[in-house]
Amino acid sequence: MALNFAHGFRIDYYDGYREVSIVNRMAGKTDTLRYLLVDSGVAAPTNRPGIPVITTPVRQFVVQSSVHVALADFAGVADRISGLGSFQYINSPIVREGIRAGKVKETGVDSRINSELVISMHPGVLIAMTNPDAAFGQYKPLMDAGIPVMPDAEWLETTPLGRAEWVKLIGALVDREDSVAKKFDSVVRAYERLAAIGSAAKEKPTVIVNMPFKGTWYLPAGGNYQTQLLRDAGAAYPWADTKGTNSLSLTFEAVAPVALKADYWLNIGYVDSKNDILARDPRYSGFHAFQTGALYNYNKQVNDLGSNDYWESGIVNPQLILADLIRILHPGLLPQDTLHYYKPLK
Amino acid sequence: MRSSIRRFRLGGLLLLLVLAFLLDLSSGPVRIPLREICHILFSRGSGDQTWAFIVRSIRLPKAITAVLAGCGLSVSGLQMQTMFRNPLAEPGVLGITAGASFGVAAVMLSGGGMATLYAIRELGSPGSWLIAIAACIGAGLVMLLVLALSSRLRDNVLMLVIGLMMNSITVALTSIWQYFSNPEEVKEYLLWTFGSLGGVTGSQLYILMAIVCIGLTIVFLCSKLLDALLLGENYARSMGLTVKRARVIIVCSTSLLAGSITAFCGPIGFIGIAVPHLARLLFNTSGHRILMPASCLIGAILLLACDCIAQWPGTQTVLPINIITSLVGAPVVIYLLVRKKNLNIYR
Repeated sequence: MALNFAHGFRIDYYDGYREVSIVNRMAGKTDTLRYLLVDSGVAAPTNRPGIPVITTPVRQFVVQSSVHVALADFAGVADRISGLGSFQYINSPIVREGIRAGKVKETGVDSRINSELVISMHPGVLIAMTNPDAAFGQYKPLMDAGIPVMPDAEWLETTPLGRAEWVKLIGALVDREDSVAKKFDSVVRAYERLAAIGSAAKEKPTVIVNMPFKGTWYLPAGGNYQTQLLRDAGAAYPWADTKGTNSLSLTFEAVAPVALKADYWLNIGYVDSKNDILARDPRYSGFHAFQTGALYNYNKQVNDLGSNDYWESGIVNPQLILADLIRILHPGLLPQDTLHYYKPLK
Repeated sequence: MRSSIRRFRLGGLLLLLVLAFLLDLSSGPVRIPLREICHILFSRGSGDQTWAFIVRSIRLPKAITAVLAGCGLSVSGLQMQTMFRNPLAEPGVLGITAGASFGVAAVMLSGGGMATLYAIRELGSPGSWLIAIAACIGAGLVMLLVLALSSRLRDNVLMLVIGLMMNSITVALTSIWQYFSNPEEVKEYLLWTFGSLGGVTGSQLYILMAIVCIGLTIVFLCSKLLDALLLGENYARSMGLTVKRARVIIVCSTSLLAGSITAFCGPIGFIGIAVPHLARLLFNTSGHRILMPASCLIGAILLLACDCIAQWPGTQTVLPINIITSLVGAPVVIYLLVRKKNLNIYR
């Protein structure tokens, strides 16, 4: 399968089976985790010993995070999720209905995973929320019991489309490669059309994001997918050329000269109003964006459980996030001005 | 040492404090000339808005916090060393800081419920009161426990072992809480444990200032009491001092100081243990009328200096203050141990 944006996995085709490689890019190593996808009823290849075999199409998933729910939802197989790490942060109506009906079980996450419960459920695969480099110790009992454990490292991708492209992995697991690829292509087209509009904008307003905590301001570095979104939306983000894919930890003072004059303050954090912001720290009233009210947070789609759909469906719908950002930063550039994930702080 | 020399040295320390304060105000990732800083501090004139914001709203609160925390932590260390008659006593060693951390964890991680967390955040400054009170109560409870056990044991080494045990019990309780909390809350809590002087602003700074001033006033008023305790409880009793009451006063002031500072700045290590020894070394006395102000001054200077080191010139990032104080403090203690070969100054 052709992958155009994601770098963290690969699917190769062989006679009678497919091979998934989860590439460990984080440590700059070449070692990979391999899985064989074998159609049900077909004998597993004998020349690849020691590689876990996943029987496809997978009929039952145990997943660990809301991102995995979003990936499954995109592929149209959210109803095949039988186990979920935590019930706390879920938006998908299908999965919430499953929880209500008792069809989805809470398995616990990371080291708190209830191995006995998961083993008794006989899932086709467990999608873990970890990086390929991490110790797999907590999943040992599951792997010993013959349950394939596959890490989802979509969050290590450096572009929004790269993250979203992990839907193709789920597509391969459920034998829906073509339909998922087609759906993903429409996301790509929408995103690239928007990015062309955003990056061609004449005015590039200065943007700051996040909120400092205890004097340290964590900002996405140049290679972070958040930075890519800002770039594509036609924002002037002063740290867009910094190295690294994670975040920069800067002092408040290092950011202050920009923050005081920035046109927009986005992704502010756990605040819902201007008063919230002042309650966190009255110094923010000195920011230009605070005075003009150019404050936006991505918490429009927070449900009754306090769960934010930005972190769920937003992962597979980067075009909606990008459209929001363009509407905020360049009013009038897109036909209509209704925001999907974002809302202004009053 | 003659009292005129001591007065001279105290004066010298005061001058050093002023210099350290100015150095701290002028160090940071943004270069601002000292003349501009003085201009911003002492006049209401406009000038460069960004510079004014940085000096007035970022550097000044941080420097004031450093002075408050430096004074409070070193004085509570001094008090505890005297009360336990143990040269290694300090809030961090005897579990007082861990008790305060437990109080903070109880509020920050409050049952793992997002709703409660939102409620606390929305409370704003009442929320910071809540954290401060929880930290003081946590600190006080651990200290009372240690004290209750210490009245049964007269051995200094046993006392320290008990303190360490209390420490590990409290840390374990906090860990249980962390284990069952959300990653976001745990992250926030972990960042807090690194310690920071830059996060105390606005009403929080006033709260911290009020609590530290109350604590310090109590401490200074009872410096005679500490002198008497130093000579032994029997002597103190013969002087007509109710030892129990003295202990209650010391417990209160220490948990106020260590608790509130830990709540706002995180657990800052080594200031409490290193500074009183430095003060004794410099003034060659065990009289608290000298040691108290000396510890205050040295503690404030040391923490200001650590803050300057933490934001090494030319970098945009800042190292957590707790790392710097430990890196600076530990060698000091080792040096003292090696040089004096004996820290038991209470004979």
